Amino acid sequence: MEHVLTQMKQAAQAPMDYAAQWKARTGRQVIGLLPMHFPGELAHAAGCLPVILQDDEEPITIGQSNVFNFYCGFNRSIVDQTMRGRFDGLDAIMFGDHCVQLLGTADTIRAERPDLPILFNQLCTTLDAGWALRETTGTFTQLWKELEALTGAEIAPQAVTASIALFNRNRAQMRRLYDMRRKGLVAISGRDMQAVVKSSMAMDKKEHVALMDELLAAIPRRGPAAGGVPVYLSGHLCHAPKPALIDMIEESGARVVNDDLFVGWRFIHADMDEAMPPVDAMAHWYVEKNRRLPCPTRTTKGVDWEDYLLAEVERSGAQGLVVLMVKFCEPHMYFYPEIKEAFEEHGIPHLLIETEHEEMPVEALKTRVETFVEIAKRRATSKAA
Amino acid sequence: MENVVAMPASKPAFGNGERANKLKSTRFGSKLVNDYWSGVFAAKEQGKKVVWYNGTYIPPFFHAHDLVWVHGEAWSAMLAARHREIGAQARGEQRGYDRELCSYARTHIGQMLIEMDKAKSGEGGASLDDPRIEAMMKLPPPDMIVNAYPYCSSGQQWDDITYRVFGKKVPMFTIQIPLLWGGRQDAGYLRGEEWQQRSRYVADQLVELTRFLEANTGRKFNFDRLSETMSYIKKAAELRLEGMALCTARPSPASFFDWIVSIAPMSFLPGDQNIVDYFQGVKDEIEQRVASGEGAVKDEKYRLFFDGMMNWNKVGWLADKFAQVNACVVAGRYTHMSFWQEPQLIDLGDPVLGMAQNYLVCPNNHGAPIMIGEIEKLCDTFELDGVVCHASRTCRGMTNAQFLIADSAKKYGRQAMFFEGDVADESFYKDELLNVRLEAMVEAMDARRRAA
Ligand code: SF4
Ligand code: SF4
Repeated sequence: MEHVLTQMKQAAQAPMDYAAQWKARTGRQVIGLLPMHFPGELAHAAGCLPVILQDDEEPITIGQSNVFNFYCGFNRSIVDQTMRGRFDGLDAIMFGDHCVQLLGTADTIRAERPDLPILFNQLCTTLDAGWALRETTGTFTQLWKELEALTGAEIAPQAVTASIALFNRNRAQMRRLYDMRRKGLVAISGRDMQAVVKSSMAMDKKEHVALMDELLAAIPRRGPAAGGVPVYLSGHLCHAPKPALIDMIEESGARVVNDDLFVGWRFIHADMDEAMPPVDAMAHWYVEKNRRLPCPTRTTKGVDWEDYLLAEVERSGAQGLVVLMVKFCEPHMYFYPEIKEAFEEHGIPHLLIETEHEEMPVEALKTRVETFVEIAKRRATSKAA
Repeated sequence: MENVVAMPASKPAFGNGERANKLKSTRFGSKLVNDYWSGVFAAKEQGKKVVWYNGTYIPPFFHAHDLVWVHGEAWSAMLAARHREIGAQARGEQRGYDRELCSYARTHIGQMLIEMDKAKSGEGGASLDDPRIEAMMKLPPPDMIVNAYPYCSSGQQWDDITYRVFGKKVPMFTIQIPLLWGGRQDAGYLRGEEWQQRSRYVADQLVELTRFLEANTGRKFNFDRLSETMSYIKKAAELRLEGMALCTARPSPASFFDWIVSIAPMSFLPGDQNIVDYFQGVKDEIEQRVASGEGAVKDEKYRLFFDGMMNWNKVGWLADKFAQVNACVVAGRYTHMSFWQEPQLIDLGDPVLGMAQNYLVCPNNHGAPIMIGEIEKLCDTFELDGVVCHASRTCRGMTNAQFLIADSAKKYGRQAMFFEGDVADESFYKDELLNVRLEAMVEAMDARRRAA
């Protein structure tokens, strides 16, 4: 199993290096995707490698001249990487999400790399609006056309359906792993789980599916060591929290049992309907998203992130919630008070950790996490008594 | 977008000690704004339904349907301009809203929470020093919420929170005004396939809005009244643009700050004869000033462009600050690229499409290349020497493209500078930094002239 994880970790850590090798090997185009909701299936069907752009480990240096320091670390890192030439291997970027900071970043990329096509098709954010389905269908139809123009070849509907099926399979594999972790059937660290999902955002789908088959077969059916307090991780809407942070949480006596992180359950939680015409399948997948897992950047009446979290924390047997909030992330800042109040009302311990792109004082945070773990443990014991 | 009121007195000890020579005619706006708020506070007694909204200038739809409307941003700006925002922001922080979040939203939500606290405790409201301001803080709660925020996701999420604060019971309607990215071959200002598609998309939603209003009032929407309201707005908008065009004169008869205090009549005041009179008055005064050679700034030496969201608790302060170095801020993105600035698109026989198009061309809703192209045109038209960017800490909507804007200014031989502040949170404003940078900019402009 280790060699599988090693391959995944390599792709997760340096997705652009992976993409460059893929491109050299296949001679096909690589398309960068900005988070969080834009599907990669169409690009895959067009014969391209869709790669979700990630932050990297480097501190922000030359990017500082092009992005303010009050923007989230993800945006700052993307701008910095653009200026360092990290994305030079891309043949296009596509996105359509509605975070105001991302819109600015896309403009900066366009200014820095004027030759790099950016296929921008803004997704409707009010998912229960009367026009949401029609508009979303239009958005994906437009994207289809633009991808055909980019690659110079028609995209056959059957090819898109096949891509949808492959992506569904990959998501289902990862969900299975999540399921086994939640039920305590396997012991997989938060760091490794992140590598699994993050690599799926970069790797060739078929390759990732094969690795997942191997991983699912080989992972020892052995539960985690006793004693860890089960916790649920929430937040980080566009990129992965630093693995060292997750290590620290687990070293402080907690055991991650589930999450709604973008590089996590949020990315894999839902499939597209293979029986539908492909654009309809994508549109339904998108507009119904919030009902399955609410996102603070879109709205559906009657659907609340805090209710989802309360239910999921209970379903996963977690004894506490750790909220990982990216500093300067507006959607999260708006909705955090709702979560906080709901958890306080229900007497479920929660802890807010604000994360930054630059080095975080992980050691200083450790004391807070340890205290939180103690509280969660005590609360669970007194509840059981 | 919004605005308000009279500039607060300010005497920053800086430069030549001069004050800005404000237009007198804008004072009529204070009366109109006060009358408007009085109407808002009387809404419930008069049995009128109240809509809270954020974003672009959609009140003509409410006006035509005989509703009372409250613009959240205007309210926050009003509190900030009267230095009443701090308590509201503290209440927001107490609920967990981070101070890096849009301070417009934080002020609005915080004040909402204060009023909720009072309502829950049965308290009518503590007596504050100014009874009028206290009254102003007590907004009638919404019967409907409408969000129509171009470009900025924060503007949309802010109303999502308003909806929640009011217990998720108030009917809410969200209009999407998508970014005009401008990536297709035929893209340009007011043209291209994307422009056509988006115009129709927004127009369709506006028609849906009228159905939403009908459903929540039980009354039929009167499109003739919409046309009538728009006839005043169109006329006022034309007068405003004519007044602005006169500012190519040297010295400039009016400044960006005069246009800032003139936003309210364009943004949220009722579309009636008053706003036509307002802009007629402004234009007349400007014409008189041009004829007599009177400038908005004494001994105008430099002409500047202001980029970014306004710093609402510093309007008067900033007007004086630039006057003190003989710099007239003649134009700005916020004032000159928004608020019905394309009135010719409005067909009074069928105004909805033209309204949608005016909403789409708000000051940040274009991708950078087209937006910056429009800024450059303004800088050329008004013969500006430099661009001042207000890096408003919590407003990403207006800071997004500022590095690109500054680069473009430099490319075309203009000076560019940044200063730190915020829309409605004074704690982010750094006066010393502004002084130093402004002095350096003035020196650079001098050196350039000497060299020429
Ligand atoms: S949603 Fe948050 S994390 Fe994502 S780009 Fe926007 S600010 Fe950054
Ligand atoms: S961040 Fe700026 S543009 Fe966005 S809602 Fe706040 S004030 Fe408006």
